[in-house]
Order: sequence, then C-alpha cells, then structure tokens
Amino acid sequence: MNQDEKLSIIKDILLTDEREFASSIEKKIKILEKTINEKKNLSTKVDPIIDEKLKEFIEEIPKSLGPTITEALKKEITNSKDAVVEALFPILGKMVKRYVQHEMKLLSERINNQVNNTFSFKRFFRKAKSKTTGINESDLIIQEQTNTKIEQVIIIEKGSGLLLAEISKNKMADEDMVAGMLTAIKSFVEDAFKEESQDLQYIEYDHYHIHLQNFSSFYIAVVVSGAYNVIFKDKLEDKILDFTSKQKVFDILKNKNILNQKLEEFFNNGNI
Amino acid sequence: MAISKKIVLIGHFGVGKTSLIRRFVENAFTEDYKVTIGVHISKKNIEIPEEETVSLIIWDLEGQDDIKNTRPSYLLGTNGFIYVFDLSRPVTFENLDSEVTYLKENFPNTPVKVVGNKMDLVNKVYLSDYNDVFKPLVDFYVSAKTGSRVELLFSKLAKELI
Repeated sequence: MNQDEKLSIIKDILLTDEREFASSIEKKIKILEKTINEKKNLSTKVDPIIDEKLKEFIEEIPKSLGPTITEALKKEITNSKDAVVEALFPILGKMVKRYVQHEMKLLSERINNQVNNTFSFKRFFRKAKSKTTGINESDLIIQEQTNTKIEQVIIIEKGSGLLLAEISKNKMADEDMVAGMLTAIKSFVEDAFKEESQDLQYIEYDHYHIHLQNFSSFYIAVVVSGAYNVIFKDKLEDKILDFTSKQKVFDILKNKNILNQKLEEFFNNGNI
Repeated sequence: MAISKKIVLIGHFGVGKTSLIRRFVENAFTEDYKVTIGVHISKKNIEIPEEETVSLIIWDLEGQDDIKNTRPSYLLGTNGFIYVFDLSRPVTFENLDSEVTYLKENFPNTPVKVVGNKMDLVNKVYLSDYNDVFKPLVDFYVSAKTGSRVELLFSKLAKELI
C-alpha cells in the first residue's frame, strides 16, 4: 500500500459525512433548479403566495390608494375640463337621447290613453283629419301642442347687412342691430367654409329658430318659435318665394315704406 | 323713416375703436380694455339739420395689424370708413399711408375718415414731430376719453353720406 492509497483511505474515513451532505445538497439544488426553470412547478409554488398578496393588496386599495387617486382625478378634471367634456359628451349625448326617446314614448302613450278615454267634437275632427291626411292622431295632438309661430320677419340687404324691412309680433332686440349681426354671422360662416355659392340657411337660438332664405341682393330671416320641422321649413320656403315673386320685392327694395307694408300684409296672421 | 348707413371702424389692436363708438353711442368711457372678437354692431340715430335722420349702423371690427387681414365680407356694402390709430403708439401709424391707400383703392366711392385717437395723451410738440406723417392723411384728432371731437367726427361723416 503506497502513500496515495493510504491517504485515500484516511479521506474516506474522515470525509464520509461531508460527502453525504454534499450529495444531499446537490439533490436539493437539482430539485430547486427544476422548480425554478419549469413554469408549471414554479407556478404551483408561487401562485398561492401571489394570490394571497394580491387579495391583501386589493383589500387595501381603498384605504391606501383611494385618497391619492381621488385627489389626482379631481386635479386632472379641474385642469382639463375641455378634454373631460369631450370624452363625456358622446356618452352623455346617448344617455340624453335615450332618455328623451323614453319620455317621448311615455308622452305618446299618455296621449293615446287620453284619446281613447275622452270624447269631444275636437277629437271627432282630429280623427277625420287623421284619416284624410294619414297623419297619426297622436302626432296631430303633439303638433297642436307645439304650435309653430312666426315671431319676426326681416329683409336684409346682402353684404352691408342693412335692414330693408321688418315685421315682428313682439318687439325683440333692435332690428337694425339684429340684421347687422345676422349678416356678420353669415359672412363669418360662409368665409370660414370658403365654399362659393353656399349660404348659411339656419340658426338655432334658445327656443327660437332663425330660417334664412337667400336671394341675389338680399336675404330674408324668419324668426320662428315652436317646432321647426322639415314640413314647416318647406311651407315657409314656399311662402317666402311666393312673397318675393307676387309682391315684386326686387322692384321695391329701395322703398322701405312700401316694402314694410307689403311684408306686413303678407305675413299679417303669422301663420303658414 | 331714417336712412340707414353702414359705418365700419378699422385699425390696429387697442387703438380705441370700441371706446370711440362707446363715447359716441352711450357717451361713456372706461379704462378697462376688452379686446373685440369678430365684430360688434351698434346703432345711433343722428339728426342732420335741414336734412333728415340718419341711422348709423356702426360695425366695430376686431383690430388687425395689417388691414389686408380684415375679413373682406365684413367690409361689403360699407357707406363710410373710419380708420383709427393711436397717436401715442407709433406702431399703429407706421403704415398709415399704405393702409389708407389700400382702403381708398379698394373702396373708391366710399368716404374714409382717418382719425388719431388718444389726443389726451400727447401734446402739441409731439404732434409737430410727426407732422409729416399726420398732416397729409389725418382728418380728425380725437379723444374717446374726454369726448373731444368724437361727435363732430361722426356727424361730419354722416353728412357726407347723405
């Protein structure tokens, strides 16, 4: 037995425990490696911990982050009001539209009930009108309630915006200034769109509708209250055309007195 | 029935166009400066002796550094122009000649009154320094603040329009 063999035997005797320990460590490392490197194994170990922490975090959010988020939102809304309005407008618009539709449906049902439960000559005539015109009786009632009226008719010189003639039921704002401002608005819109031979035809203001009808050297603005719908617009356009041709407006444009008189005669009852 | 005439006031920013109109229409003045956006329209009837009543429809246009930037449709059908500049701010009259020429060339039959406003802020020596610029062009030296010659300016223009 030489020196090296003796040394080996001594090593075996002295280091048996350490070797066994090293071997067990090696095994544990391999298991650990397997656990870390294989997603499934890692997931089995880690998921419950994450789930638990996440649950704790969610439960804590209102307490820990709530005030910060609320404060940040408040600040952001205050600083970017326009952006917030822009973002909310489509949503609110739909909500309002749905609400109005719902309310209109309710109104229609209420009117139907009223019609079915009452009898009068008015109802008899309305029924007859409904049959002859083909318009739903409920629509006729609504039409009666939203009576459209001509409040003011203004004839305005194109370009200068000077008032040529005017009639009104109730004295509203100064007609000369209204004529000027309408012309300025018209000029601005028409300039802005830079489309030749296109005219501004309608302005809505509060519960008034301003119908604008253009001719070569002047235009007529009609202020209407109540429901301004396509049928009314059509009739109004015809009436204005009728007025300009029958009264030969082009020939009397320079004579304010005669033009005013003709306008008053033609639109005296305010109806169409 | 009064004859209506369209008067348009133009000029640089802050020269006092709105103040002049306010002085003429309401006989009032304020130091607060509110910039005119777009156009503002006022009206005042004035009696012309031995003539008739003239209804002045006064268009106060927003200030422009260059008259060419004024929206052309606002100038259509104008019966009389008042070109206003600020006597105390040379930047508002450094192109006076070309601006007035532009108006006279583009609206040959329309009277133009060239008006130096804020007369209360300058003295005779100052005016004589700029005599070469002002004398050939300026029709009126006025002050919206004191009301000096404002009434005269509008009534003289109204007379020319009849």
